[in-house]
Amino acid sequence: MNTDQLIDRLSQSVPPVPRHAVRWRLLIGLLFGSIVTVAMIASGLGFRPDLSLAMHGFSFWMKWAYTGSLSLCAIAATVQLSRPDARPMHWLWVMAVPVIGLAAICGVELARAPVAQWLPMWLGHSWDVCSSIVFLLSLPIFGGLLWSFRRLAPTRLRAAGATAGLTAGAWSATLYCLHCPEVTAIFVLTWYTLGIALAALLGALIGPRLLRW
Amino acid sequence: MRASEDQLRSWMIGGLGGHAADHAALLRALVPLLRAFYRRRMRAQDDAIEDLVQETLIAVHERRATYDRERPFTGWLYAIARYKMIDQFRRSGRLCPIEGLDEILVAEGFEDATGAFLDVERLLDTLPAKQARAIRATRIEGLSVAEAAVRDNIGESDVKVSVHRGLKALAQRIRNDFR
Repeated sequence: MNTDQLIDRLSQSVPPVPRHAVRWRLLIGLLFGSIVTVAMIASGLGFRPDLSLAMHGFSFWMKWAYTGSLSLCAIAATVQLSRPDARPMHWLWVMAVPVIGLAAICGVELARAPVAQWLPMWLGHSWDVCSSIVFLLSLPIFGGLLWSFRRLAPTRLRAAGATAGLTAGAWSATLYCLHCPEVTAIFVLTWYTLGIALAALLGALIGPRLLRW
Repeated sequence: MRASEDQLRSWMIGGLGGHAADHAALLRALVPLLRAFYRRRMRAQDDAIEDLVQETLIAVHERRATYDRERPFTGWLYAIARYKMIDQFRRSGRLCPIEGLDEILVAEGFEDATGAFLDVERLLDTLPAKQARAIRATRIEGLSVAEAAVRDNIGESDVKVSVHRGLKALAQRIRNDFR
């Protein structure tokens, strides 16, 4: 086909594009992935029975503030990287703020507790499964974001894969709070963060392969 | 005459609003830009260049939602063109010459490109129209002497002579500016 014919064919279907098309597309992928993740939590793990009570407590909101703020940063970065002319993202350092904040809370918590309590606080009841559950729950969300990317145009594929993985990990951790009864900051800082980091690592590893267009 | 950034951008925004005619005008205007872009950077047959141009047009069409109306259009376009070229190198398993790579990664910045483009436009404007047209056709748009001659309906030797005289006059002018 010569170039003129191609142009004629391409110009036959020119539907209008809404202003925030990129954001919407990513949000829809995120939403569908989240539905699967919530279904997995509901059917496989169950919501914590004291959820409504816990929502009045500090530790629940501490966890949500941590994973939620990481998700927001990661989503914003993903939106930027889904355009071909992504600008450098010097603002990403603000992601250190929730981490440092949580570490400060850890310090206070540990200082108040007797040393003998430190190990049980760190390991909780579920240290051995927490990270892998966060990682597994992130996979449907990551899949949803991959669908979103099919119409987007990332040019830095590894970075885009990493931020998509980070978004999926942080958001799945946020949803996992609906099940996880752990209360200490040191637990969240270690095991949640590990699961989120694994999801980001997976994204960085397979991004260049899966995001090509 | 090349379409300007403003013209391309307004066509693009028209296309995003659903105007098929604007979209078609945009794609047509991109063809010479993309041909020149790839010819400058790749040692490839015309067929290969044309394939890449078409692939880029398809990408521009399919992924037009990723253009942000507040940002420069050519920056977006050349980011896609660059990506398609690097993807092509990767697919064909060929190594990109290193000395070219710096230019690809850095020098294609929008400001630089536009700045250089404006300088060239300003210089060409000082020449007689025929010489400027001949230089634009053969040295910027990447047409061959024969193609340029057919387009302007003049002889091939006329094109060659115009390019030669025009470039000589430009060189003289730049030398004087430096003194």
